[in-house]
Amino acid sequence: MATVRALATRRRVLIAIVSGVAAAAVAVLSLPAIGDDADVVVYNGRSQYGDEPAFRAYARETGETVELRGGTAPELYERLSREGAETPADLLVTTDLANLWRAEQADLLQPVSTPRLRARVPPALRAREGAWWGISVRIRTPVRSTERVPESAIRGYEDLGDPRWKGRLCLRTSNNEYNQSFVADRIAKRGAGETERMLRRWIANRPTILGSDVDVLEAIAAGRCDVGLVNHYYLARILAERPRFPVAPAWPDQAGRGAHANLSGVGLVKGARHRANAVRLMEYLTAPEAQREIARNGELPANPAVPPAPPARAWARVKLDPIDVDRAGALLPEAVALMERVGWR
Amino acid sequence: MALLVVGPLVALPSSFLVGDVGLSEIAALLLPEALRNSIVLAAGVGAGTLVVGGSLAALVSFWEFPGRSWLDWALVLPLAMPGYVLVFLLLGRYGDGGPLQRGLRPLLGEDFLLPNIRSAPGAIVVLTAVLYPYVYALGRATFLAQSRSAFEAARSLGLSHGAAVLRVALPLARPALAAGALLAIMEALADFGAVNLLNYRALTDAVYRAWYGAFDRSGALQLATVLVALSLTVLALERLLRGAARHHGALVTGEAVPPRRLHGWRALCAATVPATLLGLVFVVPVGQLIIWAGRSLGSGATATELARSASTTLALGVVAALVTVGVATVVAYGRHATPSRAGAVAAVLSSLGYAVPGTVVAVAVYTPLIWLDRRLADAARALFDIDLGLVITGSAIGLVIAYVVRFHALALFALDTRMGRIEPSLDEAARSLGADRARILREIHLPLLQPGMLTAALLVFVEVMKELPATALLRPLGGDTLAITVWEATKDSRFDPAALPALLIVAVGLVPVALLIRASRGR
Repeated sequence: MATVRALATRRRVLIAIVSGVAAAAVAVLSLPAIGDDADVVVYNGRSQYGDEPAFRAYARETGETVELRGGTAPELYERLSREGAETPADLLVTTDLANLWRAEQADLLQPVSTPRLRARVPPALRAREGAWWGISVRIRTPVRSTERVPESAIRGYEDLGDPRWKGRLCLRTSNNEYNQSFVADRIAKRGAGETERMLRRWIANRPTILGSDVDVLEAIAAGRCDVGLVNHYYLARILAERPRFPVAPAWPDQAGRGAHANLSGVGLVKGARHRANAVRLMEYLTAPEAQREIARNGELPANPAVPPAPPARAWARVKLDPIDVDRAGALLPEAVALMERVGWR
Repeated sequence: MALLVVGPLVALPSSFLVGDVGLSEIAALLLPEALRNSIVLAAGVGAGTLVVGGSLAALVSFWEFPGRSWLDWALVLPLAMPGYVLVFLLLGRYGDGGPLQRGLRPLLGEDFLLPNIRSAPGAIVVLTAVLYPYVYALGRATFLAQSRSAFEAARSLGLSHGAAVLRVALPLARPALAAGALLAIMEALADFGAVNLLNYRALTDAVYRAWYGAFDRSGALQLATVLVALSLTVLALERLLRGAARHHGALVTGEAVPPRRLHGWRALCAATVPATLLGLVFVVPVGQLIIWAGRSLGSGATATELARSASTTLALGVVAALVTVGVATVVAYGRHATPSRAGAVAAVLSSLGYAVPGTVVAVAVYTPLIWLDRRLADAARALFDIDLGLVITGSAIGLVIAYVVRFHALALFALDTRMGRIEPSLDEAARSLGADRARILREIHLPLLQPGMLTAALLVFVEVMKELPATALLRPLGGDTLAITVWEATKDSRFDPAALPALLIVAVGLVPVALLIRASRGR
């Protein structure tokens, strides 16, 4: 008898739960469909870079609702291309030019140009027709231990392949978009043969492969490695908190082309439903207030009127070799295959 | 029903047929190592969870020792800890520059380096640590429901208590243990977060690389097809092994075997070994999360955002669990009521979603859904002159469908082990008394299935909450889930900001785990 009653109680509880859930379900499933009332929708590949303050400040100043949808650039691109004309996105923001280039090639972006944008972003940091506009500059540079490696030891990317770093080189995984863009740009400028030779020498040093640029820096500080390759702002961020962190940038090719620089940028989506708002937000992202917010993260602002934040301020005079996006973008698949072939894990 | 679930996945093999015949360049480069790594991972996690989960379940079920009553439920807790959260903690806590290495240096020399956890053993250990509760929970439930008569018969024939556990109780529980290990293996094969963070180049990682690195979607789909084939092999293997061994251990009769008291050092070991394990994979990590979360509270993490992502996560999980269990019940019951070859094949096929990475499931369901959506939008514009937008993919509906495809297998397994133990003779008896099929379902099967349905719903809920790649692709406007929040901060080695959402994932994950524990104890 007891079990029968227990079963009956359980069934009542279950029915209660089920009906409650059904109500919740209706709410959840229908809200987003009808709630498409944002004033501007951003597919934001920079979501992990603490840019929300800039977007929030924009929302506060204009009174508009900004809808941010984060994700990695390739995920956002994939989504954008599938949604096509029905996409709710107005802007595409990425951390890596290759993906903006892909979007442009796939005819997902529309050119835009305003006096404000032109005044704030130098020609080198934007697409000729205005398909995308740079937000910040990021240098991918070799770094060295200040305790074990003299300043003169690394003068270019090739020097990471010096046999003296056997077992002492730390690299991030080859599926990282910064590494891929770096290799693609290298192929574009130096040819596939030379790039492959350089990478083979790197890999011959049996590098330790780590998951993030921060891991690479910490590994050098801890003595696991002596040299590595990272984006400059990760080091800037650590140095801002721990000024005696024993790792320093070793700016490459300063007598030649300069250090490989990638851009994070923004493009206006084709068929954007809130075009005017989106353009206003683009202008805001390149305006001094937002640029200062982005600079706080250690990146170099695209707007020349805004100085980088310390300690990256000292690095503003580094000779840069901006990514050749048109060629590097097309060479990305080749770069990925090359990295696989040489055994970059 | 099963066809709805399996439809998008059946299209996968066609990736070999479009365009160039054969593997794409990048897929050919990635495949050998990825396949090997996935097989090693599956074997390692399968063996690991069987040994850890099975022995813990047997220990807690058949022996009495200090701390047993709370270990009984506490051992399920790691179920709330996603693999990628554990990896995130390991990298932050035990990596270079982490406190463990710094702390050990005065003892072991200033050049001391911890072994690199980015390795096959590292991946296997991490995934075993968070997946063993599947084996443990299913094994424990089965041991509890086992009739003591067989056990006592064995004892009366002169077997010791331990030998009786080994030779009678464990073999009788084999279907449940195998089902648990199978779940763990399927999840290990589909795991992306932990594997990716550890740079363990398994098939899921290869799919991601081919797709988002080389932008070679057909190559990615080809690799995904290999992954599906691998899971199919594992499934087939399990069915083959289970084959003849159908145990209709009577659910309705008998009491559980009384546990036997341990004394002295044995009791001490029995208490400390599981407690240490639990401490390492759950208590210490959660403590670390709390410390980091406390630190991040000072630096701008706002409670409202967290509350929003938490409620989004909760709602999505509940809805998906409900729909998934509904579908799985129909499939499981259909197969039970009218066994047919086609039904069995459909059920097996529909359970494949669990072994396919979320990314692939997302795109597999997205392709037909976006097509449907476009037609709907066009029709609405033509007929009613309203701008409908994308109803399915623009809202949570598409995401819920992806969850159903992805986690259907989970629910089906939980229901199946339960269903397999309902004596077919019960049906016959009821029918002979004049009950029709609806009445048998309502009055016999559903009540008997209810614990299984509950288990299924909770398992699905937990999985949905932890789910990452499909959520990232299909999430609707206006709500990031907790997992997404954690993931985005984790990728950048920023541990403090990810801690609070991660802690919430674990905390929310504990709710269904606690309910699960209560449900299993109330039996």
